[in-house]
Amino acid sequence: MSSDGNDPDEGLLAGVGRGDPTAVRALLDRRLPRILALARRMLNDPGEAEDVAQETFLRAWKQARSWKPGGAKFDTWLHRVALNLCYDRLRKRRETPTDQPPEQVDTGPAPDAGLLGADLSRRVESALAALPPRQREAIVLCHHQGLGNIEAAGLMEISVEALESLLSRGRRALKAALADLAGEA
Amino acid sequence: MMSLERFEDLAETYGGEIARWPEAEREAARALLAVEAVRLTPVLVAAAHLDRLLDRAPAQAPDSALLGRLISAAPTAAPSSRRWIAGLSAALGLSAAAFAGVVVGVSMGRPAAAPPAAVTVASAAEQPAVVTTAVDTSTALQDAISEHSEL
Repeated sequence: MSSDGNDPDEGLLAGVGRGDPTAVRALLDRRLPRILALARRMLNDPGEAEDVAQETFLRAWKQARSWKPGGAKFDTWLHRVALNLCYDRLRKRRETPTDQPPEQVDTGPAPDAGLLGADLSRRVESALAALPPRQREAIVLCHHQGLGNIEAAGLMEISVEALESLLSRGRRALKAALADLAGEA
Repeated sequence: MMSLERFEDLAETYGGEIARWPEAEREAARALLAVEAVRLTPVLVAAAHLDRLLDRAPAQAPDSALLGRLISAAPTAAPSSRRWIAGLSAALGLSAAAFAGVVVGVSMGRPAAAPPAAVTVASAAEQPAVVTTAVDTSTALQDAISEHSEL
């Protein structure tokens, strides 16, 4: 995916390549929370999310000196690396047999009417985690990460129509799973 | 004019904020909403409710340990003294390469007295730049063999 030549991170990345600590800190302030949030919502595991975010930025540091402006936007590149790392982990989870059965995600109605904030967050997180990964990815990219449909479809290497199908199926499933929360949020 | 079905599809797909819909369809969507507000406003409200729920999915703030690890792993500027040493090393490397080239050249000039291959192997091991003389050396080796067979 090519950028329109206006990569807002280009200057900071050049600074990182020169070893400027101010640029390093500014780039982390700007992009690390986004990548960490992406990994958290894809993996539903704080420790794994942190590992993915760390590995993503370690790879970015290696790229910084040789980064060529005019190609993919740095933010898009970060998303691509982080998503690949998330999928590696999701694949390993499926392939690794465990003695214990997988944790059952509770997407059903809460026993008490009216949820506290933390409970509500857990319910939403669980419902999101219960989606098929591609539906979850589409929703996280478009809703949480705020990417446009063309950029999100490009990252997922699918057409915009396929992205829209994933989004609408995912949102319908979430709506059904969270139907009892009509008065919340 | 956008159809009602397309408007509903877009709300179901992208949520209750028209500003987050595909740019090419926003204007038509707003125009349709102005005409069909009674029917379409509840569609947006329902979609926006799911948006707000989705906003509650926890994010995760980077902790100071993660930040510290990434900052310490980031590229650092080479100190000026290190750059000076690097420049000197490069210059010495070039000199060594030039010297090795001279040695090879001189060796090649001697008729089979000093085996050229031995000189070349030693040079190549010490200074990769001399590898470019491999073809020349190979030729010299062939010459030496032919000179030997002529003897």
